[in-house]
Amino acid sequence: MDVLLIHIINSLLYASVLFLIAGGLSLIYGVMRIVNMAHGNLYAFGAYVTAWAVGTMAAGAPVPVLLMLLPVGALAAAILGAILEPTLLRPFYRRAEEYQLLVTFGLLMILEDLMRFIWGPYPLSASEIFENFGSLTIGDVIYPTYNLLVIGVGAAAASFLWAFIYRTRFGVVLRATSQNMRMAAALGVNVNRVYVQAFTLGCFMAGLGGAIIVPSQSAVLGMGIDAVVLAFIVVVIGGLGSLEGALVGAVIVGFVREAGIAWFPEIELAVLYLAAATVLLARPAGLFGRP
Amino acid sequence: MAADVNRRDFLSGLGVTVGAALSATAGAALPVVGVAQAQEKPKGNIPDKPFKIGHMTFFTGPAAVLGEPMYKGQLLASEEINAAGGLLGKRKVEVLKADEAAGTDANVKELRRLKLSENIDFFCGITSSGNTPALGPVAEELKVLTMFVDGCTDFLFDKAVPNPHYIFRLTNIQSADGCTTALAIAQTWPKSKRIAHIHPDYSYGRNAFDHLKIVMTKLMPQAEVVSEGWPKLGTTDFSSHITKAIASKPDLIVSSVWGGDYVALYKQALRYGMFQKAKFATTLAMGTAPHAIGKDHPEGVIAGVHSNYHFTYPSGDKWPLNKSFVEKYHARFNEYPNFQAEGAYTATYMLKAAIEKANKLAGGWPDDEMIIAMLEGAMIAGPAGYVYIRPDNHQGYKEAIIGFSKHVPEYPFPILDPNRIITIPIRNITAPPGWPKGEPTSTYTWIDKTWPVVKA
Repeated sequence: MDVLLIHIINSLLYASVLFLIAGGLSLIYGVMRIVNMAHGNLYAFGAYVTAWAVGTMAAGAPVPVLLMLLPVGALAAAILGAILEPTLLRPFYRRAEEYQLLVTFGLLMILEDLMRFIWGPYPLSASEIFENFGSLTIGDVIYPTYNLLVIGVGAAAASFLWAFIYRTRFGVVLRATSQNMRMAAALGVNVNRVYVQAFTLGCFMAGLGGAIIVPSQSAVLGMGIDAVVLAFIVVVIGGLGSLEGALVGAVIVGFVREAGIAWFPEIELAVLYLAAATVLLARPAGLFGRP
Repeated sequence: MAADVNRRDFLSGLGVTVGAALSATAGAALPVVGVAQAQEKPKGNIPDKPFKIGHMTFFTGPAAVLGEPMYKGQLLASEEINAAGGLLGKRKVEVLKADEAAGTDANVKELRRLKLSENIDFFCGITSSGNTPALGPVAEELKVLTMFVDGCTDFLFDKAVPNPHYIFRLTNIQSADGCTTALAIAQTWPKSKRIAHIHPDYSYGRNAFDHLKIVMTKLMPQAEVVSEGWPKLGTTDFSSHITKAIASKPDLIVSSVWGGDYVALYKQALRYGMFQKAKFATTLAMGTAPHAIGKDHPEGVIAGVHSNYHFTYPSGDKWPLNKSFVEKYHARFNEYPNFQAEGAYTATYMLKAAIEKANKLAGGWPDDEMIIAMLEGAMIAGPAGYVYIRPDNHQGYKEAIIGFSKHVPEYPFPILDPNRIITIPIRNITAPPGWPKGEPTSTYTWIDKTWPVVKA
């Protein structure tokens, strides 16, 4: 029974981080119609910056200070996003989609090399925070307390984003641009500004995912490429461009993966793709996607 | 007859020893790494054309944690050789880099390009077991003298290139990893009954699992596998695998997870209290990047180093070749060498020794055939100890080593407990010459058919 509860918490942990990554990916696609292949490495960039700040620069500082430093990865990813959108992506909006795929895929590779160039090939950890939170006892099992914080941040991000998009003026503009970019522009919306804001917000979420997870997992090369593949599974299930879809997709992937590991270890890798394939067969646009 | 063998006798028969001193009996003619000794003047006319080494390894992606030290090992050896005038005092070594992360097909094309356009004299490197079986046959076809540092799959010389001519491989074969860890377990915690496994889901993890299982079947017949976890290579969230392993109430958890994955695994395992619930053994954890493991790592864990090398063994003045290698490497790169660095360094000197020996016999710059003849059966004293190349399969062999994690004041990361190093003569855990090729590996079928099931 206790173990089942742990499995459920594990699933939510995985879902939280996945939502942060896939949510940003979906947001960017929803508004800008760009499939941002480089998204995974914005997540990795967030992880590296936080690991560098917490684990190297401020190593040994008191834990509250380290906790304050945690979001720097998210901010760094957001700044990077704010630079990349107008310089690299904007010139390609009028071109065919293949160009955008090529550009963002190239960017994925460039960012990977950039991180290796800055931080070298060895894993970077920021585990002092993770250690400091210790563990709590659930029945006769012990569980890392920090993981609950990650789940909390994931849930908070989801609610914040929902409120932001459905309850603020900016959200209205964002949704208007997403539904009909030309009409929104005709009505006086500065589309370029909306684009850079949406892209920055998406990158912030990915960076936050990396920043929040790095204390328990450490930053390693290749983590971004793995993450973007998983994020695509999530948006395929949930529907590309839909935030609700990203949330539901992330929860489904979290639980399916956990169940796969617990009961069908031999097909751990295949089980997520099977889930995605099943959804694609039944609802080709994903659970919440616009066909 | 099999039922009469007891475990202790069998292990000592294998030569599994703890804390054994290396028997140093270096003869006059034994080549060693390094160029400190006065060089003999080469015979005949030596061209001064640079000697080009194509070095392919992982410079990007998660496996760069292994690839980068490999390159540095070869670079260090090349710089030393060049500082002394080059190969045979004339030919400066030039190392051309190629990124193994490009993928197997691209790697094959790159090898062709290196040979046909760059005219490399020697091909070296390779980390992944997925790449050697593809590159091996191509190197044979291109007739390019090759020494793989790693890419240690048994499959390469069992199946892909069963009769190698141009290709060699220096570090111990993969099956040695699972066998070495299993023997260390059988010797340390022989009564373990319930075993949980966590292995990366690709050829290395599968191979480790197979050989751990077959050796345990023989030496710990009471042991049963109670849980399996197969995380993808590159996974850094092990919450689920740890939960599952602990839930199976194991006595012992065995893992072949490595690199950044392992750093994440042990840090999470600490918070799940995994190390209090079960004993823990690994095959490669302490081998990838010794300095990437923190002070929080538990002590007394069976700490695998790919059954090849840890820079603290042989320690101190016991084996000067290691001491000087570690010092030089640290001075040059400000980090400690791993088994890949040692492998590439030794491979370079193995080649140098073969070239010098061939020159001594025939004069002039030796052709590849002569170098190959010298490499077959060659032996060299490297930082890790003696390495020899078996003439029949071109595979390098050295004593397998494993130990126990321990913190010492000298290093800000755990090392192998110097008093409890376990070494195993490699010939006793690998299939002998002439043994028929088997599935999944020849060593597996050899153990299965020839090792007795011991009494407890």
